[in-house]
Amino acid sequence: MRLNKINLLAGVAVAALAMTGAGFAQDDPVTITVWSIDGANQPGPSDTFSAEFNELDNGINIEYRVLQFDEIVNETLRAFATGNAPDIVSLDNPDFALFSSRGAFLDITDMAAESDIINPDAYFEGPLNSVMWDGKLYGVGKYTDTIGIFYNKDMFAEAGIENPPQTWAEFEEYARKLVNPDAGVYGATISARGNEEGTFQFLPVIQMSGGSYENVNTEGAREWLSMIKGMIDDGILSQDVLSMGQWDSTGTFNAGNAAMAISGPWEIDRMVEDAQFDWGVTLLPTFEEGGQRSSALGGFNLGIMSTTEHPEEAFQVLEYFVAQDNRLFPEFGNLPARGDVELPLSGIARKDAALEVFQEQLKYAQPRGPHPEWQKISKAIYDAEQAALTGQMTPDEALSQAQATIDGILN
Amino acid sequence: MRRVLSSLIDGKGFDILLVSLTMIFLAALAGTPLVYNVMMSFQEVDMFNLGTFSRPVVGLDNYAAVVAQPEFGLIIRNTAIFVFGSIAGQFSIGFALAIFFMAKFPFASTIRGLFLVSWVMPGLVVGALWGFILAGDFGVLNAILQGIGLTDGTMFWKSDPNLSIWAVTIANIWLGLAFNMMLLSVGLAGIPNDLYEAAELDGANGLQRFATITLPMMRSTIGAVLALGLIYTLQQFDLFPAITEGGPANSSNVAQYWAWQWSFLLFDFAKGATVSVMMLIFVLVASIVYVWSTRHEVRG
Repeated sequence: MRLNKINLLAGVAVAALAMTGAGFAQDDPVTITVWSIDGANQPGPSDTFSAEFNELDNGINIEYRVLQFDEIVNETLRAFATGNAPDIVSLDNPDFALFSSRGAFLDITDMAAESDIINPDAYFEGPLNSVMWDGKLYGVGKYTDTIGIFYNKDMFAEAGIENPPQTWAEFEEYARKLVNPDAGVYGATISARGNEEGTFQFLPVIQMSGGSYENVNTEGAREWLSMIKGMIDDGILSQDVLSMGQWDSTGTFNAGNAAMAISGPWEIDRMVEDAQFDWGVTLLPTFEEGGQRSSALGGFNLGIMSTTEHPEEAFQVLEYFVAQDNRLFPEFGNLPARGDVELPLSGIARKDAALEVFQEQLKYAQPRGPHPEWQKISKAIYDAEQAALTGQMTPDEALSQAQATIDGILN
Repeated sequence: MRRVLSSLIDGKGFDILLVSLTMIFLAALAGTPLVYNVMMSFQEVDMFNLGTFSRPVVGLDNYAAVVAQPEFGLIIRNTAIFVFGSIAGQFSIGFALAIFFMAKFPFASTIRGLFLVSWVMPGLVVGALWGFILAGDFGVLNAILQGIGLTDGTMFWKSDPNLSIWAVTIANIWLGLAFNMMLLSVGLAGIPNDLYEAAELDGANGLQRFATITLPMMRSTIGAVLALGLIYTLQQFDLFPAITEGGPANSSNVAQYWAWQWSFLLFDFAKGATVSVMMLIFVLVASIVYVWSTRHEVRG
């Protein structure tokens, strides 16, 4: 009997606490959790803007969490599966459709239509496609990037080559002229690594030869693989392009060990510091002069998760982030995903020239997917590239096998 | 009542208590995940039904799909090379070192202790280290091989499909060497010295002493070391993401890394579970060998 009394008392106490808790909660600011990889190594847009947003003290409070690049998809999956998803999450653009296609992101089509700040029409086609699913808008591009060819102007001048390569045939011809094994200089470097980076650099080749991720076995792709395989066999390219990521691959270019490198604008700041030579950037080559152009589309998107309890407040946060887009390049070196933002010049001639090329290149950038099973499609593509470049299969066998795998996923 | 209590403190009841405690612990922390994993391999699992139990049952479809993958045969071959190559390397070099350090020379036991450095290092650090050593154009190993004139060209350890699985195997041999050596040293120390002295008096040479005394006396230790080696090697994961990522073109991919790729790269958790259930069967065999070879150690 005495026990029961104590239980009862405890119950009343808990209930009272809960009620006062509820009372406080009404006056408390709304908390919006934001997950992103920004701020892991150096300040990035999302962490900086979140901190500034909290200083506004407008009744909405952002709780910001930094995640590592490798973890953010898994962590979001887990959180979503257990009902603890954040309100806003920032994902790499090919991972976005995994969530939007299954209704894990909030449809913001109508909210954006009424918004003065978020205007979907202002975005580049590629970034916009990556946040669309089934004709609806599920997010906004946070920033974007793409790839082109960096080339060592000093080496080009020494070899008597005037202009950077415009076609893949020229790319091979110049690389074969520029190679110098005695000095440890390769003709070019790329990343054909067995992960998303491999697909990132190889898919544009498929696209510019008339294919797409749905149709990979094009004549151009086969030719290109044979060409690169021949260059690896002859020592024009290091065999390590098969295991190096883009950052390491471009590192060899910066050190003067490769005359050309396929990579993107995220390299510019490091190159300005490290490269002891004159360099420039040109668009990714085409198969024929004036042929179809293509490039990869990189960068992150922001989306509101459909499980959010405060969709309106979350959208306000999103609007605040988008309103800061003009600061992306000067403060963080990131390219905005939309065309209506004026990019101020940095005053560093090579950097400004490179930026201009990459902005031109962005017009041809195409997103990977969007497809909910993008990761499997991507694996089929980079597996095929690696199988062909190591000589385990002919380009035709490798691409046919990839096509069979992709058909299995698409149908 | 009193009898039950006294049996609990000292007697059969106490034994049962001890056994049931360990069994509950095992069932909760090892059994449940294991059963859950086996269950997942018969279901269709993706991120959106990961949190629930009601998932479509697909029978053996996952197994059929995994076996039908074009890389399946290659991965089995690589796993075999990795496991047997690692064990053979770790065991033979470890045994040789253990015997070497049984010789009485100054600082023998201190130097032996230093060998443990490789064992206490995290696999990812070891992987990063060997990544530098095995790099193609600027790798240490290539510089050494070229320096002593063994090869002229550059060996692309991480990018050549004929070498990549061996690159990871070499790193794993280095990593597991000290563990093998220590266990074998303990076994060697347990052999009474007078056996060797008697054999020496009878005129047995070094090789005969090794074959007729050391090996038979070490039988249970060797069995245990080999079985543990098999289990540790099948568990070895860190080296793969750090050195080759299973590439190029799956030429250094092994079952344990493949299972991870299915689950956390492709988000097909059922296929990941399927691969690990397949591996479980091999580990089970190893565990039986291990239990069998250590049965003499349990007394009473």
